[in-house]
Amino acid sequence: MAATQIDPRGPRFGAGITNILSVFAVFEALDKGSEPIAAAIFGLFAVLFLIGTLYGTSKHPFGWIYRTFVKPRLAAPKELEDSRPPQFAQGVGLFVSVVGLVLHIAAVPYGLAAAAAALFLASALQSYFGYCLGCQMYLGLKRIGVIRSA
Amino acid sequence: MSAELKLILLLTLVALAVIAGLVYRFTTGRAKKVSGERVNVAELGIVKNGQPVTHLTSKITFLQFSTDFCTFCGPTAKMLEALEKTDHNVTHLELNVTDRLDIVNRFNILQTPTTLVLDRSGRVVSRIGGAPKAHTLVSEIGNFDI
Repeated sequence: MAATQIDPRGPRFGAGITNILSVFAVFEALDKGSEPIAAAIFGLFAVLFLIGTLYGTSKHPFGWIYRTFVKPRLAAPKELEDSRPPQFAQGVGLFVSVVGLVLHIAAVPYGLAAAAAALFLASALQSYFGYCLGCQMYLGLKRIGVIRSA
Repeated sequence: MSAELKLILLLTLVALAVIAGLVYRFTTGRAKKVSGERVNVAELGIVKNGQPVTHLTSKITFLQFSTDFCTFCGPTAKMLEALEKTDHNVTHLELNVTDRLDIVNRFNILQTPTTLVLDRSGRVVSRIGGAPKAHTLVSEIGNFDI
């Protein structure tokens, strides 16, 4: 991952959209009949998180929306942040999305709803409190051996 | 599932997010007193201004652990460097532990930045998890007899 400096409000704006979508996902995932709608939202999440994981949050469609429609109306950012933490967190989001889809396909009761709830919580913390849960998980994942050093 | 129950579940989630966010806001960046393990900085492989750090030179050293995947590590380093410039009793050291699992385990680091406040002898006086609040740093420095 190449480190660049980005406007920290970009990922927070993107997390806000994810947060709103995740509310719908939770709602639809709670009923067997409407669960496929939630699964479709999760399919969209997976694609978006994959883009974010591979190319960074600036290349993410929500990042584009932020840059094109929101940023021109705001003052310049007070400080920039490293692009790698939010990019890493996109990978965590991708993992949760895939787990949700797998649970849906395996017909685990409320599995998709639980994954949607996890995304809701993480995106709410990122967007409204500036707390990047995915970034915070880096050391924990490393300590339990999920991530190995290059 | 009934619409009422769904609504209750969603509101519970919102409440959880708000509680977690507020707990984060109020606990992050505060100093916790810890009873003095002694740290030998020479063993940690810290580099400052291109030179390996072999001993402590100031009354107070802020030893900051960072990773590459850390939102507030950069701003924290900036803040502590500024403090070092204005207060000759203070030194800021930073160690990137992205690939230093030994250090992470040894100091039980769960989040970055984690900053240890060391006295001149290398004794850990307190520990700050998350981006330090300005008043935390002021009161930490105030704890030392200068």
